[in-house]
Amino acid sequence: MRTKGLSMFRKNFVEYAILLLFKDRNDHLFSFLIFSFIVFILSSVLFISDSLQYDLIQSIKAQPSIVVENTRAGRAYQMHEGYVYDVSKITGVSGVEGVVDGYHYFAQKRLWFHIIGDASLAKDEMVIGQGVQKAMAELYYEDEFHFLTEERLIRVKINKIAPKGTNILSNDAIFLNPNTARAVLGMEIDEYSKLYVSVPNPNEVGNVALKIVEIYPSAKATSQADAIGAVRHVYYYKGGIFMILYVIALVSFFILLKNQISLVYGEKKKEIAILRSLGFCIKDIIALKFIQNTVVSVSAYLLGVALAYVYVFVFNAPYLRNIFLGSELENSISLTPVVDLNLLFLIFLFGVIPFLAFVILPAWKIAISDMSEAVKS
Amino acid sequence: MENRDQRHERGGEIMSQIVIQNLNKLYNPNKPNAFYALKNINLSVEDGQIVILKGVSGSGKSTLLSLIGGLSKPSSGEILVNNQNIAKLPDIMSSAFRHQKIGFIFQSFNLLEGLSVYQNILAPLALTSLSKEAIHEKVSLAMQLANIEHKKDQNVGSLSGGERQRCAIARAVVMEPEIILADEPTANLDKENSFIFIEILKKFKALHKTVVIATHDTLFDGLECIDRCVQMRDGELLG
Repeated sequence: MRTKGLSMFRKNFVEYAILLLFKDRNDHLFSFLIFSFIVFILSSVLFISDSLQYDLIQSIKAQPSIVVENTRAGRAYQMHEGYVYDVSKITGVSGVEGVVDGYHYFAQKRLWFHIIGDASLAKDEMVIGQGVQKAMAELYYEDEFHFLTEERLIRVKINKIAPKGTNILSNDAIFLNPNTARAVLGMEIDEYSKLYVSVPNPNEVGNVALKIVEIYPSAKATSQADAIGAVRHVYYYKGGIFMILYVIALVSFFILLKNQISLVYGEKKKEIAILRSLGFCIKDIIALKFIQNTVVSVSAYLLGVALAYVYVFVFNAPYLRNIFLGSELENSISLTPVVDLNLLFLIFLFGVIPFLAFVILPAWKIAISDMSEAVKS
Repeated sequence: MENRDQRHERGGEIMSQIVIQNLNKLYNPNKPNAFYALKNINLSVEDGQIVILKGVSGSGKSTLLSLIGGLSKPSSGEILVNNQNIAKLPDIMSSAFRHQKIGFIFQSFNLLEGLSVYQNILAPLALTSLSKEAIHEKVSLAMQLANIEHKKDQNVGSLSGGERQRCAIARAVVMEPEIILADEPTANLDKENSFIFIEILKKFKALHKTVVIATHDTLFDGLECIDRCVQMRDGELLG
């Protein structure tokens, strides 16, 4: 009648393990909440960084093979038409596009707007991002905006609002006719801030970039791969702010493990002794604790991940996103749902296994000890 | 609940018998505070007998019950139950032996707090693969025998001492063990509940259970259902 071998998978045994778990639900509640919190924090951080990474990388992928920027005294400096001509003559280059791009300081709100030249727009109209629209509306700029430069006031009509959630870059962007953009940024009529260089053969991108730097030593030629690498470096999960969050999670985790150990000692020690006296073998005790704590940890894990998903992708991660994004403007972006299953699995592995181990090992230690004293007390 | 004669009719099962030979239990060996809880115990209990182990606290009665029930291992000697030396069994087999052959009744009842009477009695059956109906039938029979059926859904924390005792008895017999070991079963009971225990003991006798009771309660003196009374002192059997 007694179940042989894999008793932990037997229905009656599993049901009784769950019954005992519910009996002690208040004891397990603390572990459940702490573990959910840890998973929630770590998952939220990963969701945010993955989402930002994804958006940035997608925007880089939409750009041409090489982006050329000029520098003077270590700062970005404009380029004239001669740069376009010289670069277009390099073997392997199929096209060069001069781009007007820069930042305009909106003093009334102490914000920086990203000005991007767009030849499809008329001189007196612009398309603005969600964040820009919000900031302008607060100062009642709803139909047009006045750019205040050193020389004059430039009036531009607000033509359209860029759709929310298109990507992280459009949020603080103002798209203007290139000539209007030049006027706002204080550039001359034939000047560009960046060159977009198209190289059809991906194997030649590196050589072309080197040749550009040879011709113009003060220029910086960034290939798509380099730009993606730089984004990945910023959002690398083993560094920077991630480490701070890991420390918080780690401290919480130790509090959790301490609670886990105390769950096995005290009253529970007697419970183990009683079960042993009723015929539960050491394996049964371990299986019982395994089932109970698997239920607690897996449900806490799933709850933590689900809450993190809702927090990040439904509510746009209030408070936490400030750590990742700079200005108030950028914070009004909506995060694209991107889930890295490998990292979620890592959290599961490094969370659930120690969680189980810190209950099962003490339970095993108690189960192998002499039960006669424990049942007498 | 079927008695032993009925079982014999069914399958010719081997008679339950406990034989203890040269049994010693030494606590804290190789330490300055080492002491013998049991010294050279030799005892045999026939199938269906009710045996009382009498003696003052610290005489070794409870230790002897723990060893018979396989809760701890002797330092030396043999404990044969149905000709099987349980002192040498590995954990998985001694646990299975305890599960199937032994029913424990403790002085402090040792109920699982926070569970109902029914859920407490259910505990040993969690290790079986019986159907829900069979489990329910077994628990009901055990509750009837211990006269605790009317409290089946009540949390054990709200029971009186006597009711807790009867719940513990029901749990001890739910697997229909051949041997029942009771450690000071009346120590925490009033007179009325102690007499109820004696009545249950008579039922065990009728069911042909082998019962070993460790007690210093004089209530058991001269009871008709008691087959033997063994005196213990300082870890040794007297007489």
